[in-house]
Amino acid sequence: MKIEQLVPLIILLPLIGGIINGVLGKRLPKMVVGSIATAVMFVSFFLALNVFFQLNEATTINLFTVIRLDDFSLFARLLVDDLSIWMTLIVTGIGSLIHLFSMGYMSHDKGYYKFFTYLNLFIFAMLILILGSNYFMLFFGWEGVGICSYLLIGFHYSDENKGLLNGLAARKAFIMNRIGDLGLLIGLFLLLATFGTLEYTEVAAKLAELSPSNWMLFGITFCLFVGATGKSAQIPLFTWLPDAMAGPTPVSALIHAATMVTAGIFLVVRSNFLFEAPGAQLTQDIMLYVGLATSLVAAFIAMRQNDIKKVLAYSTVSQLGFIFVALGMGAYTAAIFHVTTHAFFKALLFLGSGSVIHAMSDEQDIRKMGGLKKFIPITHITFLIGTLAISGFPFLSGFFSKDEILAHALHHNPLIYGALAFSALLTAVYMFRLYFVVFHGEFRGSDHAKSHLHESPYNMTIPLMVLAVLSVIGGALNLPGKHWFSHFLNHNVMGLDKIEELHVDNGSLITLMATASILTLVALIGAYSIYVKKKSLPVEDSQLTGWAKLSANKLYLDEIYDFLFVRPMEALSKLAHQLIEIVILNNIVLGAAKAIGKSGDLVKKIQTGRTEWYLLWMVFGIIGLVVYYLVKI
Amino acid sequence: MEILLIPSLFALLALFVPGKVVRVFGLVGGLASVILTCVLVCKFQQNGGQAVTFFELAQNNFGFTSKMGYDGIGLFMIILTNVITFIILLSNFNREVAQNKLFTAMLFLMQAALLGVFTSMDGLLFYIFWEISLIPIFIIALSFGGSDRKRTLTKFFIYTFVGSLAMLASLIAIKSYATSFAIEDLMAVELSSKVAFWIFGGFFLAFAIKIPLFPFHTWQPSTYSTAPMAGTMLLSALMLKMALYGMIRWMVPLAPEALNDFQYPIIVLGIIGVVYAGVIAIKQSDMKRLFAFASISHVGLIAAGIIIFDKENLTAALIQMFNHSLVAVGLFLSVDILEKRMGTRKLEELGGVAKLAPKFGFMFAALALASVSVPFTSGFIGEFLLLKGLYSYHWVVGLIAGTTLVLGAVYTLRAYQLSMYGAPKMASFEDLTWNEWLAYFIIMAIIVIVGVCPQMIIDTVGPSIDQLLESYKISNTIIK
Repeated sequence: MKIEQLVPLIILLPLIGGIINGVLGKRLPKMVVGSIATAVMFVSFFLALNVFFQLNEATTINLFTVIRLDDFSLFARLLVDDLSIWMTLIVTGIGSLIHLFSMGYMSHDKGYYKFFTYLNLFIFAMLILILGSNYFMLFFGWEGVGICSYLLIGFHYSDENKGLLNGLAARKAFIMNRIGDLGLLIGLFLLLATFGTLEYTEVAAKLAELSPSNWMLFGITFCLFVGATGKSAQIPLFTWLPDAMAGPTPVSALIHAATMVTAGIFLVVRSNFLFEAPGAQLTQDIMLYVGLATSLVAAFIAMRQNDIKKVLAYSTVSQLGFIFVALGMGAYTAAIFHVTTHAFFKALLFLGSGSVIHAMSDEQDIRKMGGLKKFIPITHITFLIGTLAISGFPFLSGFFSKDEILAHALHHNPLIYGALAFSALLTAVYMFRLYFVVFHGEFRGSDHAKSHLHESPYNMTIPLMVLAVLSVIGGALNLPGKHWFSHFLNHNVMGLDKIEELHVDNGSLITLMATASILTLVALIGAYSIYVKKKSLPVEDSQLTGWAKLSANKLYLDEIYDFLFVRPMEALSKLAHQLIEIVILNNIVLGAAKAIGKSGDLVKKIQTGRTEWYLLWMVFGIIGLVVYYLVKI
Repeated sequence: MEILLIPSLFALLALFVPGKVVRVFGLVGGLASVILTCVLVCKFQQNGGQAVTFFELAQNNFGFTSKMGYDGIGLFMIILTNVITFIILLSNFNREVAQNKLFTAMLFLMQAALLGVFTSMDGLLFYIFWEISLIPIFIIALSFGGSDRKRTLTKFFIYTFVGSLAMLASLIAIKSYATSFAIEDLMAVELSSKVAFWIFGGFFLAFAIKIPLFPFHTWQPSTYSTAPMAGTMLLSALMLKMALYGMIRWMVPLAPEALNDFQYPIIVLGIIGVVYAGVIAIKQSDMKRLFAFASISHVGLIAAGIIIFDKENLTAALIQMFNHSLVAVGLFLSVDILEKRMGTRKLEELGGVAKLAPKFGFMFAALALASVSVPFTSGFIGEFLLLKGLYSYHWVVGLIAGTTLVLGAVYTLRAYQLSMYGAPKMASFEDLTWNEWLAYFIIMAIIVIVGVCPQMIIDTVGPSIDQLLESYKISNTIIK
């Protein structure tokens, strides 16, 4: 089949799967529901592979016109190039594995069919986001993934104890994303006002032609970036992501680690020609420093988290910050490279944590785990690989992709390099802490929990193994010196071909790699000596002091946001209702009514009902008229 | 003509139908109008979207032509009225009121009056139908409403009546320059800017109260929450659309000379309403009041879009009017289901319903999401276009109006989650009955269809909007 037929099919398959399960899923056996959902994903993935090998030039595929007004149209159109097909491979590939994993993980859940429906629909929306040829399609998918994320975070909404909390987490995610969406929407309107179109290629073409003012370009790129901070969880809109862990673990792996949260990064890479334009320099700098701050803050918070998923969530935020630093430096291919390896090892870690949680009968507190390596060996090995990969252990995938960004940073500004390297060190520390506390030492849970410990079934461990292999070899995609992946993306992605690759000489390359390796090893040895040799355990939050307390309490950011935004808003709501609505507006209306009533009283005094008075008034009136006319004449 | 006769006939007959079958009779009547609408749509399209005149009296001295007809916009409003009326009848089917002759008769009378409003091509006739529509809603709310209804309804009545009088004054004033009340005669009148200001103002007062725009809205939350479900649905889904329609068809075309004076203030009031009512809705605990404020917030946006008065915004406003009607009916149905089964609509006394009534939970969730304009719902396109229009007017206006994206999510999801999520607070909850399910299904189906192909609506109303703008432009250039 041709690309023109394959690509729409790739998008439609998950939608079809979602519709089948949504309509019939309730009556179908779980096995069938899960198989349908997973099968459409695998087919989508293989079709995407097919397209990947066929694709040479960037191809536009017209589907239909959404809206056609006189001077303004919105098109459902696809743009297939190396960037979008690469992201499609990640989304469908990792998506397939996570669907497979979910078949085991969710097997006891009552909302099984709903879960797979939402998951399929999410993939559908995500593919629209990636494959669309214009910002409207992107926005459509953007909102679509947001709503699926909302539904999946709040998936266990009728839980006796946590139902309302899960709902709250979902709501928080949705609202924070909506704040970012408003920025994105304004960005879209700015684009429309400036270029008169939302098609990527047309915007790029007109950019050179119209050369809009620097401030306009800053405005556009800044608004797009605001949108990205929402979806990709950057300061100040990142606090929803850790809460989003309320969703089932496969959801955290797919949506809140591997795919949806990279939408902001995709947006920036897709719009690289805008961000590279003069005037957008300021946005790039803002992006760089926001990314850097996010990376450090999130890594710092992750140090003292005791919920296995929370550690990984903050780690995700931190890694995304890392990638935004790359974007801020214009290192787009390095960013997508890290997005790719991060998708591998973060999906692996989340699924691994899911397997742990599954074995622990839904316990997520790492203080109640320990010594799990004996009980769940496959999960243990794969989790270890994931940990090593994310920590930048030599020659695993994370090592190369981080190194690429660090090399750019060193070239850009040594201070930024220093800060990034520190963030990477923190990453290694908290990840090894997590690994050792969970898998080494003695089991600290109840005997009841111990008796339940079991390795997960094959449909859960196979995805782990596949992802582990990818996490190991993923770095080979873009080996230093070869840069296959960079050449691949530069080949036909608009704008990227114009960006010069950074060439690092061998000497500094070796220095960089050696430094990174040493840092990782230091973290490994440090964590090993503390958590395995000394057998020290994370203590109760109440006993922490100073920095540790700050970290454990997430820098009190939720409290600060609550104080600064939530409560004033609620107070304003009550004030507006009680003061303006009830006191002021209502009294004006009542006052007007009373005034009319009063005027009626005045008139009433005249209406005495006595004829002589009426006659008198009449006489007065006649006299008045006569006088009036006399004067007038 | 049959489009008006059918509901009138059913209104009359409903009074004589035996009590037991009156609700079936109602459903048949609603369906008859829907079927007729389909026929009209087909005919309209066969004739290539030509405006239709179906009734006209010979010219008389008084200037009352009683011309009736519709173009694309009018047809669109007819579709809206008949579909919504049918959904209201359907969702009331298992309620006690559906057995009531008076109720059914009044509902049909309402439908007839609304159709009259949307098909009047004569100023006086428009006014007459506008006033007639007040009678059935008043009777429905008074006979079947909740506590404190007399006080609330008096307020409502006086409010709207003041507006109506202002409109009548405007109509008479403009007629004094024209030969008849026929819309084309009235539109042909050239007014001095001072006179135009007052004529426009009179219409504006009537419409601002009916929509309602901030600060003319204080009758609305209490009336919505006192009225029975059908009343609230009629008020929010149909009656306020009369005013939005009036802005498009009568207010601006008749006195375009004053548009410049009024445009900015109306936009400001509209977006104040968006934010103000949205903020208030955040902390409401009475669900019906909450959605009443939400409604003010949504229609503020539509009114602001209409008054920009270009093709894009008028189209967007019409799509959004359609969307708002459907969503409002669905949300008030949800509130009523909760209230009927639980005896309360206070958020703090509700919770956990989704677990006990999954069908209801699903449908309510779908409506809540449609209300926050997610992709694949009609609101997504409508809101996108409206915000775009307001943004092109001025970026600050667009930004402030855009907060509806966030505010809407805050209050809608809060209302949904507090009532539906968590552990159930009651032993059992009867899930949707067939008629409720069907009502929801129809609403959602239309919302999704329009959300996927909004071009349908654009093609229906587009030529008529062009025509409207054309005549408006002519009268505007004459002034200049």
